[in-house]
Amino acid sequence: MLSKRSLVGVRLNFHTLAVLFFLLIGTQAFAADPSVDNSDEAVAAGKALFNTNCKTCHRLDQKLVGPALRGATDRAPVELVKSFIKNSQAVIASGNAYYSDLYKEYNNTMMISHEFLSDEDLNNLLAYIEYGDTADPAAATATGDAEGGAVAAGGGIPNEYLTIILGVLVVVLLLILIVLGLIISVLTKYLAKQDLDEDDKEFVSQKTNLGKVFKSDMFVVIVTALVVALVAKTALDGLYSVGVQQGYAPEQPIAYSHALHAGTLEIECQYCHTGVELGKSANIPSANICMNCHTHVQNVQGAEGVSPEIQKIYDAVDNNQPIEWVRVHNLPDLAYFNHSQHVVVGEVECQTCHGPIQEMEVVGQHSALTMGWCIDCHRQTEITTEGNAYYDKLVQIHSDSKDALKVKDIGGLECAKCHY
Amino acid sequence: MKIAKTLSILGIAVAGITLAGCRAGGENQGLEYAPQMYHSVAYEPLTQIMDSETKGDLISTREDGKGEYFNSNINNPHNMNMREPVANTVPRNKQGYLPYRYKAFEIEEAGTSMKNPIELSDEVLTEGKRLYQLYCTPCHGTGGQGDGKVGAIIGGVANLTGGAYVGLSEGHIYHVITKGKGRMGAHGSQITPENRWKIVHYVKQELQGGQNADNATATTEVVAEADQDVSQVETPAN
Ligand code: HEC
Ligand code: HEC
Ligand code: HEC
Ligand code: HEC
Ligand code: HEC
Ligand code: HEC
Ligand code: HEC
Repeated sequence: MLSKRSLVGVRLNFHTLAVLFFLLIGTQAFAADPSVDNSDEAVAAGKALFNTNCKTCHRLDQKLVGPALRGATDRAPVELVKSFIKNSQAVIASGNAYYSDLYKEYNNTMMISHEFLSDEDLNNLLAYIEYGDTADPAAATATGDAEGGAVAAGGGIPNEYLTIILGVLVVVLLLILIVLGLIISVLTKYLAKQDLDEDDKEFVSQKTNLGKVFKSDMFVVIVTALVVALVAKTALDGLYSVGVQQGYAPEQPIAYSHALHAGTLEIECQYCHTGVELGKSANIPSANICMNCHTHVQNVQGAEGVSPEIQKIYDAVDNNQPIEWVRVHNLPDLAYFNHSQHVVVGEVECQTCHGPIQEMEVVGQHSALTMGWCIDCHRQTEITTEGNAYYDKLVQIHSDSKDALKVKDIGGLECAKCHY
Repeated sequence: MKIAKTLSILGIAVAGITLAGCRAGGENQGLEYAPQMYHSVAYEPLTQIMDSETKGDLISTREDGKGEYFNSNINNPHNMNMREPVANTVPRNKQGYLPYRYKAFEIEEAGTSMKNPIELSDEVLTEGKRLYQLYCTPCHGTGGQGDGKVGAIIGGVANLTGGAYVGLSEGHIYHVITKGKGRMGAHGSQITPENRWKIVHYVKQELQGGQNADNATATTEVVAEADQDVSQVETPAN
């Protein structure tokens, strides 16, 4: 009874939705000025023009930076629309009420002028704007999403399955153990009832005597040795880790994520860490660099309102208050390290020293940053001399040697290069 | 006897575990061996200890009663060690670039009067391309078509290869990078003047096919017209 009723309910809902949909499209699509060309060629030519010149700001049925364009020729006379597209500021300056209001509505966002468009171009554009891509855009995005989902799901065995498989394996192993134990006990019982000679009897009864093994000297010695070795190892490891901050990953005042910015959005490291190629310090970006994007991006995934984390950037900018990022990598004052020397001259990737930053939600110290770590790399790494006239003479002198020219050969192991 | 043995083993175990706790990880910065040698006494630009309360160990020699490692500059706003340059001073550099004088709205004057001081060469173009990839691709995309990953989210990014933009003068592009325009923020603080001119070369020659590279006036007038009322309203005497 119940299931039947709910089924009917679903169907009814679907109908109302579908009807609503057609109503909406109906009101939107058929309000073009009759003088606009609706031939396929014009629409196709207009589409190409639209994609190169207008797509970053406009969609046909959706508000973006500028308004949804379909119906533009209904809202204003065709000739005026054309001159607006060519030079919007001139039309607004001429005092046209509709466009002046629109300009205000869009927070005085200037539409760039398109003087280079010929009259034919404009006609084609309008044809596309009014008659192009009439397929319902919501459906298009829906199929897009579905494809995205399918791709995501196709990527290897999901983690949960692995855990389930592991669990099953463990259960099976336990079952086998129990069965084996049962077999042994059955067998011993059976053998005990049999008539056996002395040797065999001893063998059967000896096996069950585990307690003796635990008490034997050998066992105690082995276990003590193991425990001592383990404790000694943790103690030594502990001692060696004094003064090494590998793994330190403090929480930051803003939940800024490298995985999102440097990973997903593929923003290059140098965009924010502007000093790496210029000098010693890589620099932490000041808030104005965040604001290049976050004046517009106020929340993730286009959600409404301002994300509380991004609000912190706005507060910092409004109050001229520095953001107190917690420093992660920090060499002691007694050592000198220079970024441009390694990144520009040495051509070492950031990831070699800092690890997979582009996958980190919170930055942690990946390398040990001990003196041994620096020296190891200087012993092993060849220097790039190609196209660097500074090294020409050195290469010449070194050409007698069998080994490649390493950092150690140019003084990378000398105390005073790092300590002064 | 047995109790003593267990106790000693337990003791070793506890010592081991405590030492293991010195290891850094998460919020724990780990134990330091000789902190007096590690923390700078002088003011450092990118590292400063703001904690003025925590007293040091036995041998602190501070006379101002602050925490042992406190090295923030109390004379600066927010106790910051970094400061902006003194007002009205002029930074000088080897290339002889002077500070950029045009105001953000003086885009028209900048566009017509500035010339690219860097000579065009293959090297400059390769370097310009690399720099463009670093600083512009997030929004303008690799090909300059306004289809970068961030650009798709921000919206309204100019298609540098589109008809409205190919005629821009080099000075105009330089001004836009330095001061920003409309929805694009100012990138002057991130890119040195020299590198900005290299990017301009790349944008002009490779993305825009060299159109109007020598800054013909015909098309700049068009651009000027679009911005006319803004500059008329706001341009002060200077
Ligand atoms: C930089 C972003 C941008 C670009 C590029 C752009 N526009 Fe616009 N457009 C706007 C904005 C913003 C408005 C709203 C009015 C205003 O603020 O001036 C607008 C308004 C319009 C209108 C009036 C809409 C209405 O509802 O009456 C038309 C028509 C139009 N644009 C067509 C075009 C065409 C055609 C192109 C491509 C050749 C184009 N636009 C390129 C930003 C842009
Ligand atoms: C959008 C700007 C931005 C980009 C792009 C970016 N970073 Fe960062 N980076 C920051 C900010 C802000 C911090 C300080 C907050 C923190 O530690 O998370 C930081 C911190 C760091 C730190 C730790 C600094 C310390 O305190 O020791 C490292 C290392 C780092 N970034 C490396 C990289 C690398 C490598 C890339 C490129 C793959 C990169 N960053 C890309 C903004 C950025
Ligand atoms: C080149 C553009 C760009 C720059 C520069 C940039 N961001 Fe972002 N940031 C984005 C975009 C785009 C998103 C939203 C991604 C999405 O919609 O999923 C974002 C999202 C965020 C979020 C996530 C908000 C949340 O609620 O999860 C935080 C926090 C953030 N940014 C902080 C910063 C900080 C701090 C800086 C400066 C160091 C910075 N961003 C610089 C483009 C940028
Ligand atoms: C040869 C190893 C190495 C390479 C390569 C390297 N770094 Fe570093 N980085 C370090 C060390 C060591 C420190 C700590 C410096 C200090 O405390 O003086 C550091 C510190 C930093 C910091 C903290 C702030 C600062 O300026 O000290 C940031 C941010 C950073 N690196 C980003 C980067 C980026 C981005 C790249 C790639 C372009 C990069 N690093 C390449 C070793 C490296
Ligand atoms: C991933 C490898 C790598 C690591 C790790 C590394 N370096 Fe280097 N370092 C290089 C290379 C390569 C050069 C040579 C650059 C050149 O061609 O001048 C270099 C050069 C130097 C020089 C200049 C040597 C000279 O004679 O000109 C100094 C100083 C230096 N590194 C300091 C450090 C310090 C301090 C650390 C540890 C915090 C460190 N490096 C870690 C690769 C590394
Ligand atoms: C490639 C750069 C480099 C060279 C060359 C180098 N050091 Fe170091 N040294 C470092 C770094 C980095 C540290 C800091 C390690 C840490 O924080 O754990 C350090 C730490 C030390 C320390 C330990 C200080 C402490 O209390 O932790 C001593 C002592 C030292 N170095 C002596 C030397 C001597 C002697 C030489 C020459 C034989 C030398 N160093 C050459 C980079 C270098
Ligand atoms: C944070 C995103 C972002 C970055 C990074 C960015 N731009 Fe832009 N750019 C924009 C936007 C948005 C516009 C449209 C501005 C408008 O008309 O409102 C634009 C417009 C332009 C224009 C046309 C200006 C005009 O006269 O209308 C040029 C030229 C330009 N950018 C060059 C560059 C160069 C060169 C770089 C690299 C140094 C760069 N941009 C980096 C977002 C960006």
